[in-house]
Amino acid sequence: MLSHLDRKLWRDLRRMKGQAIAVALVIGCGLAMMTMARSLIFSLDSTRREYYEANRFADVFAHVKRAPNSVVERVRTIPGVATVQAGISSQVTLDIAGLDEPASGLARSLPDFGEAELNRLFLRSGRWLPPGSRGEVLVGEAFALANDLQPGQTITMLLNGRRQGFRIAGIVLSPEFIFESRPGAALPDNRTYGIFWMPYEELARAFDLDGAFNFLALTLAPNTSERPVIEALDQLLSTYGGRGAFGREDHPSHIRVSDEIRVLHTMSIGFPVVFLSVAAFMTNAVLSRLLVLQREQIAILKAFGFANSMIVTHYLKFAFVMVAGGTVLGGIGGIMLGHRLVLLYHRFFRFPDLQFQLDQSAFPLALAVSAAAATAGVLSAVRRAARLPPAEAMRPEPPANYRPAWVERTGIGHVLSHTFRIAIRNIERKPIQALFTVAGLALATGILIVPNCFRDGVDQVLDFQWDMVQRQDISVGLVEPSAMKSFHAFEQLPGVVTVEPFRHAFARIRFGHHRRQLGIQGVLAHGLHTRVIDETARQIQLPAEGMVVSEKLAEVLGARVGDLLTVEFLEGKRTTRQVPLTGLADDFAGMAAYMEMYALNRLLGEGDRVSGANMRVDAAKRQEFLRELKDIPRVSWVAIKESLRENFRQTTAASIGLIQMIYMVFAIVVAFGVSYNNARISLAERGRELATLRVVGFSQREVGTVLVTELVILALLAVPAGLLVGTGFATAILRAVNTETVRLPLVLTANNYAFAVLVVVFASTLSALVVLRKLRHLDLVGALKAPE
Amino acid sequence: MDKPMSAPPRSAGPSRRVPPAGQPLFRVRGLTKVYGSGEAEVKALTGVDLDLYRGELVVLLGPSGSGKTTLLNNLGGLDVPTAGELLYENLDLTSADEVALTRYRRDTVGFIFQFYNLIPSLTARENVELITEIAEDPMSAELALDMVHLGPRQHHFPAQLSGGEQQRVAIARAIAKRPKVLLCDEPTGALDVKTGIVVLEAIQRVNQELGTLTVIITHNAIMADMADRVIHFSDGRVHHLRTNETRAPATSLNW
Repeated sequence: MLSHLDRKLWRDLRRMKGQAIAVALVIGCGLAMMTMARSLIFSLDSTRREYYEANRFADVFAHVKRAPNSVVERVRTIPGVATVQAGISSQVTLDIAGLDEPASGLARSLPDFGEAELNRLFLRSGRWLPPGSRGEVLVGEAFALANDLQPGQTITMLLNGRRQGFRIAGIVLSPEFIFESRPGAALPDNRTYGIFWMPYEELARAFDLDGAFNFLALTLAPNTSERPVIEALDQLLSTYGGRGAFGREDHPSHIRVSDEIRVLHTMSIGFPVVFLSVAAFMTNAVLSRLLVLQREQIAILKAFGFANSMIVTHYLKFAFVMVAGGTVLGGIGGIMLGHRLVLLYHRFFRFPDLQFQLDQSAFPLALAVSAAAATAGVLSAVRRAARLPPAEAMRPEPPANYRPAWVERTGIGHVLSHTFRIAIRNIERKPIQALFTVAGLALATGILIVPNCFRDGVDQVLDFQWDMVQRQDISVGLVEPSAMKSFHAFEQLPGVVTVEPFRHAFARIRFGHHRRQLGIQGVLAHGLHTRVIDETARQIQLPAEGMVVSEKLAEVLGARVGDLLTVEFLEGKRTTRQVPLTGLADDFAGMAAYMEMYALNRLLGEGDRVSGANMRVDAAKRQEFLRELKDIPRVSWVAIKESLRENFRQTTAASIGLIQMIYMVFAIVVAFGVSYNNARISLAERGRELATLRVVGFSQREVGTVLVTELVILALLAVPAGLLVGTGFATAILRAVNTETVRLPLVLTANNYAFAVLVVVFASTLSALVVLRKLRHLDLVGALKAPE
Repeated sequence: MDKPMSAPPRSAGPSRRVPPAGQPLFRVRGLTKVYGSGEAEVKALTGVDLDLYRGELVVLLGPSGSGKTTLLNNLGGLDVPTAGELLYENLDLTSADEVALTRYRRDTVGFIFQFYNLIPSLTARENVELITEIAEDPMSAELALDMVHLGPRQHHFPAQLSGGEQQRVAIARAIAKRPKVLLCDEPTGALDVKTGIVVLEAIQRVNQELGTLTVIITHNAIMADMADRVIHFSDGRVHHLRTNETRAPATSLNW
């Protein structure tokens, strides 16, 4: 049984349903984002954890050039090591029917007998390799899907330069390759890069690794710290050409999922905070108005003995009903969006079964957070109203103390129209309320900036940055660094217009306590192809000594230009050198370190060697070029810029596009909600005044002008502030979203600002029209009667 | 439990006055109320001495600004005096805190205002029930509405009722808690004569049947005839007091 005060609540709410719905929608948008993000975090995190556990994902990984299998026993004796598994991991080249360029990939060995101890596979379709099988492979799902490969089909692989056909036995997933991409490449190209598994014997024979391994994975005993194990392992493996062991935190696939989770964390906090702030401002505006309107009712309740606490509770309930509505909307919205986004994740992340899992703790949290925001927005107003002595409240509010507004006091008063004066005096008399209204609208404007900023960032990555930085059409990598003469072989290929060599060397870069393992790219100082650019989009001249790194890498290492970085090379003579940091590069994906190629070679001390070449190829001769390239045995991989770009467009850009669309819809909802709310409140507040104006002979149009003028003035104040706020949001969000693997440049265009202004203007105009329609039905006599 | 009669008589005839006797319900001495300070200071009450007794009907007459409403608000616990003595039975209203005043208003006082002040989003009956929900020993909302002859209109919203009907709802709301004190501020001020008389009749009946001390503020000297005592107010104090030998029934009034 509802109490009568609650009945009053429902009926009052029904009368102000437009405003209540607007507030609930804004709360709903924020909470939808929060529910979605938190649930996705929960889904990704728990699915990954279960997958890792079920398939025994290793803790530490290491590559070596070649180590006898007996070394495994010595690895087992390292304190803290639980299970060890050694095997082969080798680059292979593929010739896929229907694919112009050569594809490449990684061949991994499986034990000849029995199941792998670590990094176990999950069979998606087909069958496992039977013991002692030959000429059969298991193929990673991403590559299989991208190339439409089915079990039973045959693919051609070049193993160590020898061409051989393999029958696909099954399609599999691996916890090591939730994100399948070429090492060092930030963007996946599943069409031209895949992972393959075959029996140890067969792979060992092909790569002359009989009785030896070149890849090792291990798990740690419980409560063991990773660092000492890695150090012991590095020491042990250094004589076998160890390339430096690394833990999960440096594991490319693991990092990618973790980065996604980090981005979601930002979203689950940043956006709801903004949306709920807007909601708090709106609730404040709605309730402040309601309290003024119900001043006499409050007095009556007090006169009849309702305690202050009962009155405060009653009006807080208005806010809570809107919060509850928003929570339900947000919950439903979040679940729907979450399902949609999980589908998108299926394109990037390969899990046996990634389902949307609702984070149930999101609901109570959502309710608590939005209730707190709403309470913060209204508590002071409600308490002030409840404290009003009833005898005072009983009398209609005394005529407000108006005075000429400051604009008039500047002496230009005589040029202002009456309607303009009414409007500005109104604003000036209630500066706090005006401030809240402006703040709400400014936030709504600001929110609109963010999604387009994402879109423009993607465009910049797609066009400007790709064309600016990577001017080559095709990059080719060699199986291992070779003498300059291999580079000259590329010059002879048909259609090659320009060609530049590059050197790539694995190293561990250290500064202070921080370190990162990556490939240092040696390119030409005045290169035309891979150009290193700074934040002002100018090419950085690589110095004869010193290193330029991604801004993000410098940030991660905590290093500044001028600092000396310690570079431990993980290949060749494994030299360790101090290299000054001479500049910061502006790039959008992964983390890179650049050196002038000859300088890099000097540090490595192996003479002039190249790892591959960047080329521009005459489009007319491209087919011919690729055909001949397929026959060069030492080529390990080929990257065609157009395919990478296309792939980026279809995956990363598509996902950002979807998120952008969601934000955009939410931002528009907020813009409309806030402006509608403002217009309604103005009307409610000014009903009597406007009716009076009508009674004394103002036309409907003139009265409308009074109302609209005030709205326009507030909007004019809010919009520029909103553009500033939006710039701040965009900067903060992009900074928070930027990770070591993928970043978006902050691009703020005039179009973006114009769009935000346009939406707010449109929303405000529409809201004003709705209110003006209501103005036509203004009850002139009723409004002039004594307050009820 | 003392029940009011279930079938109240249609009209209240002339009656003998109730002599002020025994302990007064309200004891007012030197009551002063000042609003504002400095130049803006307004002395609303300038030393009121007054006793009010159980069951009597008192009419307060006086020009605008003479302090009638301020006195009523102080009696009702809506406002706190600046100085002087104001006792309701043993409750010192000058020093009572917000909690005690809320309690006092909830249990003891019924208010009727010139502009009815009904909650527009609640029906007539709900407006009454709103109060009976929090009162200690209320009568039923139906009974309260019957006493003002509004039973048939109980499901109407204030906007669907005439001014007189709205005021009668306000009376029903005020009496439903069986208050010891009924304070009416210009109860007929917004009504025409005929409707006003119906409202006064209702007030008079409540006073007689429930024995409620009733204080009515009015500009209308004719209404003084229905009172036991008439208090003339001017300049924030009692100018003079008059006691009626007999009370005229509300139905006999005309203005």
